This record gives sequence, structure tokens and C-alpha cells, in this order.
Amino acid sequence: MLVEPKENKMSHSKAASLFNKDEKKVNWHDKALWFVRHKRDIAAHTVKGWEELRNLGQGIKAHTLSELDTYLIQFEENVLNNGVQVHWAKDGEEHNKIVGSILKEHNAKKVVKSKSMLTEECHLNPFMEAEGIEIIDTDLGERIVQLAKEPPSHIVLPAIHKTKEEVDELFQEHLGTKPSGGDPQYLTGEARKHLREKFIEADAAITGVNFAIADTGGIVVCTNEGNADMGTHLAPVHIACMGIEKLIPQQEHLGVFLRLLARSATGQHITTYSSHFKKPREGSKMHIVIVDNGRTEQLGRPDFRASLHCIRCGACMNTCPIYRRSGGHSYDATIPGPIGAILSPGKDLKKHSSLPFASTLCGSCTDVCPVKIDIHSQLYKWRQIITKETPQPFVKKISMKMMGSIFSKPKQFEKVGKIARWSLRNLPKGMINSKPNVWGKERDLPIGPKESFDEWYKNRKKDE
Amino acid sequence: MSGIKTEKKMSSRDNILSRVKTNKPEVIELPKIDLNVFDDSRNVLDEFIKKVETAGGNVFEATSNENVVSQVKVMFPDSKVNFSTLKSTESFNTVSFDAIKRPHDLENLDILILEGSFGVAENGAIWLNDAQMPMRILPFIAKHLVLVLKKGNIVTFMHQAYRKLSTEDTDFGVFISGPSKTADIEQSLVIGAHGALSLTVFLK
Amino acid sequence: MKVGLFIPCYINQLYPQVGKATLELLEKLNVEVVYPSGQTCCGQPMANSGYEYESVGASNNFVENFKEFDYIVMPSGSCAYHVKKHFDVIPQTDDVIKVRENVYELCDFILNVLKVKNVGASFPYKVGIHQSCHGLRGLRLGSCSEMVTEEYSYIGELLNEVSGTEIIELTRKDECCGFGGTFAVTEEAISVKMGKDIIQDHLDNGAEVITATDTSCLMHLEGLVTRNKQPLKILHIAEILNSVS
Repeated sequence: MLVEPKENKMSHSKAASLFNKDEKKVNWHDKALWFVRHKRDIAAHTVKGWEELRNLGQGIKAHTLSELDTYLIQFEENVLNNGVQVHWAKDGEEHNKIVGSILKEHNAKKVVKSKSMLTEECHLNPFMEAEGIEIIDTDLGERIVQLAKEPPSHIVLPAIHKTKEEVDELFQEHLGTKPSGGDPQYLTGEARKHLREKFIEADAAITGVNFAIADTGGIVVCTNEGNADMGTHLAPVHIACMGIEKLIPQQEHLGVFLRLLARSATGQHITTYSSHFKKPREGSKMHIVIVDNGRTEQLGRPDFRASLHCIRCGACMNTCPIYRRSGGHSYDATIPGPIGAILSPGKDLKKHSSLPFASTLCGSCTDVCPVKIDIHSQLYKWRQIITKETPQPFVKKISMKMMGSIFSKPKQFEKVGKIARWSLRNLPKGMINSKPNVWGKERDLPIGPKESFDEWYKNRKKDE
Repeated sequence: MSGIKTEKKMSSRDNILSRVKTNKPEVIELPKIDLNVFDDSRNVLDEFIKKVETAGGNVFEATSNENVVSQVKVMFPDSKVNFSTLKSTESFNTVSFDAIKRPHDLENLDILILEGSFGVAENGAIWLNDAQMPMRILPFIAKHLVLVLKKGNIVTFMHQAYRKLSTEDTDFGVFISGPSKTADIEQSLVIGAHGALSLTVFLK
Repeated sequence: MKVGLFIPCYINQLYPQVGKATLELLEKLNVEVVYPSGQTCCGQPMANSGYEYESVGASNNFVENFKEFDYIVMPSGSCAYHVKKHFDVIPQTDDVIKVRENVYELCDFILNVLKVKNVGASFPYKVGIHQSCHGLRGLRLGSCSEMVTEEYSYIGELLNEVSGTEIIELTRKDECCGFGGTFAVTEEAISVKMGKDIIQDHLDNGAEVITATDTSCLMHLEGLVTRNKQPLKILHIAEILNSVS
């Protein structure tokens, strides 16, 4: 049973306007994420040949996708030779069932999990809870949102939307901490104690996979907190969950990706821990679950295939002026922000139809992406599909058709322009800025000039 | 009735692989990596020290393994549970691995001293592989991590690091850069999340 | 060299003074400019809203009006970008290919085709440059803060030569203003917030005037400045470059 969380039926635009009712919070959220973007800029500028690294990142991923079946088979062979078990899941439901059956096989009742957006995508936690298994997210940000019963709002900084006071209250309620006014040092210290217990007691550890290496059968997991390692080196079972697109051909390619990842994500030159797992430690078991869940379908879309290059750094979210001012939750998708807006419509066009429009196509995301995904071009392309394949508001359809017609006929264009200018010049402001004119809510419209440029030019010519 | 073919349900593995085969694009060549474009002629040792410190670690010089231990004893005078894998430093150890049954028993380890394989200048990372330590959990569960590195064992970039690793067959290895940390509470950096609370590097 | 002048639809109707300044400036620089009067719009408003097929008529009309020119110059980065990038929606005839290759935003044309840096303008004010996104990251009319490259800016280079102008430095060099076409009304709350933040950055850094290559951005910013009665003048770069003391 795929237990999906309650569906939020709000479009991005509606959710964003609600978020914007609290301008102070918007400013705070915007500044916090801009700071991360700024740190990324500083780190990138210390790397000679940064743009060449991005080219390599893009090239290696593009090549990998073009030979993905070969690499998957090679990876599986090497994984099995390493004494690690391999499972294949065509969708989220099957992924959950596989993980569930591995846990059952090992009588695992207490599980610790380090960050995995894939397990979020598959809704693993509610599935486990329904099976009576305790599953604790050990990344501090993930633990915070887990306690708050919310989804993460950012793929790298899951609790970026929470103030320290909100975290303080959460910890008081769930961890029994003393009120501290949101002291990060104290709260982190308490979380360390609380999660240390969970690590010690865990029957199994679930991790994500940052990179899966075809020529060695190894996987790499990157963290700053050390929680993936605290889980996997203590528990008797390690289950690593990965999407098929996490594959890279050779270990040497990690040289490119580990130079790009942390700098793009947080501005650090590398995460504190980059853990390379190949064989399970003696006496323990390791499993890798390889998941499709819509990825092969995206692979078959030439316009959107490059979205599978994503290495989940979050730089596009940090730079996006809309994401910063609307927050991850307003996207109502496992992965929010610009990359989410090109991944999600492929999974559910109707549900996510507002996402590609939650953008001005400014192109900043494309230019920070470490693997050069042409995000803003893909947003444009999704728009063309969405207007054709999902129900559109009648007014929008008709006005686009009218504009299309007027702009192809010079004489009509002149006539309509004249009327528009006259209206702007002569109609009372109260009428112009009335409710149907959304623009007029917070902005003035220009004063309608008497002559269009065209008319002025024609008159000038006459005078010559 | 004989002659009726029962269609065998395709396994998810075969389903996924066949879908990949059908949907993948025409072959795109693997790009060549030319390391010359990255060469920035910075002093490798200075850069390494700078980056370790940026990541929140501390760097000191040491003349020998014994010297490392005596410096550590001064830095952490109150530590009770200590372990070192360095040659000729057994007297430092308060723990014997014969007595350790499970990794969980190391919960109270205060100081761990390990010899690192090599360091990477561009990010201050040090490679450890599980052949160098009795248990994989050690560098993560220890309260304070001390890593010892030969000055000559520092490479410039991650590319060179993986060149070194191409001849190594490690069951588990990790690049460690700095003490554990998090900024998940309002982007305030806190040193000491789940892993070590501090990292001290001695260069021999 | 035969130069055709394209005036974006909203400049034609709502900001003709920008078109006038563009024409006068080019004539001052001894360019024989022709303004084909059958022109309407590049098609961007429909295409960016997801209705590319409704922009076909406008795109064809554009090519029809401009196919005879060696250069097609316009006071707009976003229109030039749209022609270069999205005119693949119409069949690629020789005329279409030629037109797509020869569209130029105004500053780009002055600097890189006419090879002129100082246009003889005078504008003694503190000016903040808003780096319109489509021109910046689309046409690469300047380096963007995201990429690790040599710094350059066509609009900056020209403005630098204007007598008396002081270019102020912004805190966020090239963040989007929030216009985005129909985005301005479909995501009104964010659009307004983005515009307000840009304006505040200019005010915080002492700007008296905000300029850009695109009137779409400026229309949005001016709408906010006017409504909120803020002490800023909004001018297209053509108007500044055409200013004499």
C-alpha cells in the first residue's frame, strides 16, 4: 500500500501568496538562502577551471545516460561480487515493499535513516510506520521536520523554513529540552544525545546514495553530520536506496563530482564525510535497492532527459528568486524549486502544472547548476505541453488566441493599441486599478501616450 | 490443455533494463579530463593547512608518533578513554580491542588517534581506509579525532586523490574534512553533530 | 549596411519615448535606420505563457518585415533573445535563419557592430543598472554573477562613458526584477515582492535613476515606484545614451 500524504490542492501561486502575507518571514527566508548562494559563489571562484568542471559534470552524466543499461548491469555484477545484495524496484510502492521485507527478514523494528530524497519520494516513512516499524531520520534538519510532521522544504537544508524558536519549542515537546530561546549549540547538543541512543539501538540503517560507481560496485554517501556512518557502522543491516540515475561510470569520475557537489550545495569545499562503501563490514549485511519510479520515462523524453543529471545539490533552489520568496512547501512536490519544476510534471502533469509557471525564466538556476542542466529552457518547454494537455482557464486561452491574432495583423495591432492607450489616459484610476486588474493591486500602469511610436514616426516622415 | 503459453511476468530488473534500453539516447562520448586546466600553482602544504582550518580543524606539527601523543595529552588532559593506532604509542591506549565485542562498546571513546593515508590540499580532506582501523565506527564515534599525516602525502586535487585510490582495494574508506557539523538550525554553524566534536591534524 | 529598427510592442504603444530615443541615437551615430511600419510583436508574450503556437503569426510577421536587413536592432534584450532562441517554432527558411542570426540588442549593436563606446551623452546622475535577465543570461550581454568568467557588461561599458554619470554598485548585482511576462499577474505576490526588493537595493545604494536594456522590467519597477511614491526615475538605457546636457 502506497501511503501518500494528504494532497495539498493549492497551486504554487496561491501557496506563494499566502507565504507572502508575512513579509518579515519572506525577508528572513530569502536572506538565509541568498547567503548560501553567496557562499557557493565564493567557493566556486576559488576553483581554477570551475566552468570546465561543470562541462565535465554535464558530459559524464550525459554519456552515462546514453549507456545506462550497460552501466547498470556492470554495477550490479560488481555489487554482487562484493557480497552485497541487489534489488530492483519499478516504482515507489515496490521500493517500500522491498525495504519492508529486508527489515522483516532481519527482525528489524528500529531503523535509522540518513538523508534520502528518494525515500521521501517513495513515502517510505508512512509505509514503515503503518508496518509498526520505528524509523528515525537522523539528519538534524530531517529530524526537525519529522518531529514537526512536515515534509522537508529544501533537499539539502530540510528545515530552512523553521526559525530557531520554532525548533526550540519542538525539542521541548519531543525531546524534553529546557527552553533556550533557540540556542543552536544547546539544541544540537541535545539532538546529538537523543540520536546517539537511536544509533546504538538501531536494528537497521537506511541511507541514500550520492553516487553509485559502475566499475567498482561501490557507493558514496556524503554528510556533514556523520549520521550515515553512525547508522551504518553500528547496525547489522545497511540498506542503500538509489535512483537509476545516480550511476557514474568510473571511480575517477568522483574527482569531478566531489569537487562540484559541496561547493554548489553549501559553499564548503567538501562535506565533512564522503563515505565510500564497497563491502559490508564483517558479520553485517548490505543491500542496494535500485529504483525507477518514472526515471526511465524521463529518460525517454529528449527535451527533459538532462534533468536526470541532477546531483541533488540544491543550488538552483538557493539562487531562485521565486523559491527564496515562496518557500519549498509552496511547490507541493517532493523536490521543490527549479529542478523540482522540471522533474515533477513528468510524474503528474496535472498536479504539478503550476510549477513550470512559478518562474520568470531568469536563467539563474541554469548558470549555477554544477551539471549544466538547461533548467530554464526545460521550464519553457513544459509550459508548451501543459497548456495543450491540461485544462486551462478559458480567459487565458481566449486572450492568448486574441493576442496571437492581433499581433499577426499590423492594422489590428494599431487599432487595439490606440484603444489601450486611450483607456489608460482617460479612464479613472479607480476603474483601471479595480479588482480584475491584478497588476493594479500594487503597481500603477503607465500613462497612455497620445501617439504610439508608429504614429510619431509616420508624422515625422510626413514633416520631412 | 497443452499449447497454451503462460506469459512469465517480467521481473522489475528486466522491465527497468529494457525500458532504459528503449529510452536511452544515441551514444554520447565520455569527455576527456585534462587536468592542466585546473593547475593553479598554489603551495600544496599551505593550501592543505588553510583548508583544514576553514573546515574547523586544527593543524600542528609533530616530530614523531610519540611527540603526537605527548601533544595530545597536553591538549586533552581530562580524557579517560583513549586509543591510538600509531606505531609505538600503545601506552596511550586505555582500550584493548580484544575486549571490544561490538562497535557499540566504543560509545565512550574520548580520543582516537589514527594515521591517515593521504591528504587533499584543495579541501583539507584526509583519506582513511578500514584497513587502517580495527573498526569502521571509530573515527565517527570518538569524541575527539586526531589524524596524523606525512607532509609528503598531500595531493593537490581530488583527481590525484582518485589516481592514488585506483591501486587501492578498499572495502570501506572515507574522506574526512574537519569535525562533524551542522547548520540546520537557522543556518547557525554548530561544530559537533553526530561525529567527532573536534579534528586535530598532526603533520609529520 | 541596411539596419532595420524593431520597436517592441509595449514600447510602441506605451513607451514611445524609448523608441524615439533609440532612433535618434542611432541616427546620431550615422546609422541609416529603417523602421518597417508593418511590424507588431516578436511573439514572446504568447510563447512564454506556453502558447507558442499562438505566436506563429507574430513570428512570421516579424520575419516578413525584417528579412531584407543586414542588422535588426532593438531596444530590448528579451525580444532579441526570443527571436534567436524560440523562432524555431516556425519553418526554418533562409529568411528566418538570416533574421535570427542578425538581431541585436541596442547596446550590443553600438559596442560590437558600430564599435563605438562613447556616444557623446551627458547625464549627471547616480544610476543603478538593472541587469535584465534575458539579455544577461540569454544573450550574454554581460557576465553574470553565477558564472566564474571574466567580468564584462555592454550596458555598463556604454554608461561608463556618459559624462557626469556615476554608476552605483548594488548589493545583489543581477537578481531578477520579477516581471516575467504573465508571471507579473499570475504570481502577483512574488512578482511585486521581487520588484520591491530590487528597488530597495537601488535606494539603499544611493541610486537616483534605474536603467536597463528592457522596458518590460522598467515598466514593472516604475509601476511600483509610482505607486509607492519613491524617489527614483526609471529610464531605458536608450534615453540616457541619447541625453545631452
